Amino acid sequence: MADTFDVVIIGGGPAGQAAALALALAGHGLAIAVIDEPPRPGGQILRQPPAPFAVSNWLPGRSYDGLKAQLARFEALEGISWLGGHSAIGLVREADGLVVQASGQDGLRRLVARRVLVAAGCQDLAVPLPGWTLPGVYAAGGIQAFIKSQQIVPGERVLLAGTHPLMLLIGAQIVAAGGTLAGVLFAQPRQTMIANALRHATAAAAHAGNLAAAASAMKVLAGAGVAVRFDTALTAAIGNSQVEGARTAAGDIACNAIGLCYGFVPQSTLPRMAGARVQTAGPAGGWATVADGWGQSSVPGLFVAGETTGVAGAPAAMAAGEMAGIGIAHSLGLIDASEAQHRAGPARRRHARLLGFARMLDAVADPTGYLPAPTPDTLACRCEDVDFATIDQAIATGGSANAVKLATRCGMGACQGRNCEPTLLRRMATAGRTDDTGFTQRFPARPVAIGDLAD
Amino acid sequence: MDPGLRRGSDGEREPDGVTHKSDVLVIGGGLIGCATAWRLARAGAQVTLLEAGDINAGASGQNAGSLHFQIERRFIENGEALAEQAARIVALNRLAITDWRGLEAELGADLHVSMAGGLMVAETPEQVAMLEAKVRRESAEGLASRLIDGDQARAVAPCLAPQILAACHLPDEGHADPRAVTPAFAAAARAEGADIRTRTAVQAIRREAGAFHVGTADAAFRADRVLIACGAWTAHVAALANLHMPLYPVALLMNATERTAPVLPQLIQHVGRRLSMKQAYAGNILIGGGWPSRLAQKADGGFDLGAKASIIQASLAGNLRAAIDTVPMVERLNLIRSWTGVTAISADQLPIVGEVPRMPGLFVAGGGSAFTLGPTFARLLARAMGGERVAELDLLSPARFEHLNSFMG
Repeated sequence: MADTFDVVIIGGGPAGQAAALALALAGHGLAIAVIDEPPRPGGQILRQPPAPFAVSNWLPGRSYDGLKAQLARFEALEGISWLGGHSAIGLVREADGLVVQASGQDGLRRLVARRVLVAAGCQDLAVPLPGWTLPGVYAAGGIQAFIKSQQIVPGERVLLAGTHPLMLLIGAQIVAAGGTLAGVLFAQPRQTMIANALRHATAAAAHAGNLAAAASAMKVLAGAGVAVRFDTALTAAIGNSQVEGARTAAGDIACNAIGLCYGFVPQSTLPRMAGARVQTAGPAGGWATVADGWGQSSVPGLFVAGETTGVAGAPAAMAAGEMAGIGIAHSLGLIDASEAQHRAGPARRRHARLLGFARMLDAVADPTGYLPAPTPDTLACRCEDVDFATIDQAIATGGSANAVKLATRCGMGACQGRNCEPTLLRRMATAGRTDDTGFTQRFPARPVAIGDLAD
Repeated sequence: MDPGLRRGSDGEREPDGVTHKSDVLVIGGGLIGCATAWRLARAGAQVTLLEAGDINAGASGQNAGSLHFQIERRFIENGEALAEQAARIVALNRLAITDWRGLEAELGADLHVSMAGGLMVAETPEQVAMLEAKVRRESAEGLASRLIDGDQARAVAPCLAPQILAACHLPDEGHADPRAVTPAFAAAARAEGADIRTRTAVQAIRREAGAFHVGTADAAFRADRVLIACGAWTAHVAALANLHMPLYPVALLMNATERTAPVLPQLIQHVGRRLSMKQAYAGNILIGGGWPSRLAQKADGGFDLGAKASIIQASLAGNLRAAIDTVPMVERLNLIRSWTGVTAISADQLPIVGEVPRMPGLFVAGGGSAFTLGPTFARLLARAMGGERVAELDLLSPARFEHLNSFMG
């Protein structure tokens, strides 16, 4: 079954919504499809509860106001084909245009489009440490998703550990949802964070609102008696069949859930699959898709916006999505160049300002030097149960990431290396191999039933 | 040989101007290259192996690991004359059965070799007739294949579909782990003293005064005999020696399901449809059978073997449909990965293995079936490169294409 659209947008988060809104403004009657994995739009940042749930005071806080207003405008938009509950599993250029394969409960849909925008967001950096595969160890973003969509805190006593200031906001959300925190551990010293922030003092001053949000989160945590510790690195998750505690140099902390928060990496599987040019996303790894000021990637017709091009936060993604929507409208001949420039002006200025803040946050949250040390038997690839001793041995033979994958199965499992690729590339860089381009991206981006793909 | 010169790819480069001499130079770090290097080194030869990328990075590591000893479907789908000619390859298949049975012990390595039998199935009366003709040819060549009916086939492999009418059963078939085989040969070759260098692309091959001079970006090599075993790149490398080699790259699709409980110890093939299926030791079911992917093209024409081939959706859909029709339980399993390996086929579909008459001392090996037959090709090549006459390779000799090189060399 093939559906033809003018534009297919992959991702219903801030960037995808903004692009759809900008496109709808530029061209009446455009056939636009927006696909995303959750049933309802919002992205990870505004992960919505299921429609029948009535949640009062959902995601309070001024930082969500602009995002919620845009979401309301997007949901009110008419003429958009919303394909919630669909995973984009493949993206290829074929003779008749770009083809997105979307897998959902109704099987596989083939979406042919003149333009495709990948606004797929980011994911938590997977951080292997001893005990990280015990039930109860989460990516902090995973804990946040539980709270946002289900109002559930997974665990009676939650510890947050990492380097990213987002832990403060997640901690406050856990407290607000009625959860109990065992503590918030920053691996880096407070002075280092402050020094890194001060190096971006202008950006910090321009974004006092974000700093105020952090300060008010600190206040919430202090009010709940939660210890926020600095210079306290998590070294292991401990427990037998489930997390029972967290090990640090300063002693063990009892908890039954741990949220790891060392930063985020772009979701760039689909652009890479389509052959788009990417660059290193940050010191911890990941690939950011390269794009021009309109979101046009190196593959003709393929646009990218938001965290897919580098993690910069939801407001920056909104601005980038708007620019990409305008860029796509121009590339389709709906508006001329000067009109595009004119329309994109405000978003472009906003985006530049927000990038300054994002760079400050990157510096403050930089996990370099603070990532926990795995032991030889710590799993690097949890899909295929490949430990560090095994990948180190393969790295020592001098092969590429693809060669290590072939030799060890690291990256051959259901996640296709999304989680272990940054780990492996960091490990290779430590061994002096900094130039590797990572795993060849293979179809499908998500596992899909054989029966859905067969003739 | 001065042991100081025996350095791997991670060793220091020797100063410019030094020519590394060895008895044999192998170009290509795939299964045939590594296995031949091992055989020759073990026999006492000084061996250097040059690989442009990583060991096992090409078709040797990307194929699905079938050990197929029945006459392949591709040999019988193009008419009687070609089928008759191809039947003669059964003699080599029989040698390969023996080679594979002894390989793990010989290498002292776990290659996940499983020879629990293979079934080539038929779904229609026409396909059953094809199997009958095939079994007659195989029997004449001394292969112990046997035609059984659908119920007998399902007794052997209960996961087969009810509409399977018949199957050709060969107890020796099976599969091995392509990820393990070539690295094991490479390790064994190194242990015997072979100098294996990766990320070392050959840029020039010259024959002078009875010896070969081979150049890379930063080193020079001299050897009495050279083997070109570069898979899909073989024709390109042979061209460096000013020779035509009628080997053409083809990109083939393979698919892996999620892991599942053991259900399929055998190799399954289909006589009327492109299909191979097996369950790897880790539990994934691998589905292939020769469905094409699209090779990347260079901007100025020709194929770009260095770029990723792209999946043809009709191939994917057709391959998976053939798999479901043959083994219905796979319908419910998730596909976790599809990939493409690039191999080469020859102008007359038989592999090309042996010495090039136009250029004595230069050997070539390639042209498909080189996972199943690779260890055997290597064993025979090592004898031939040692100066022996090896009659078993006559069928595959490059001599049959010598007219292409009448004006070359």
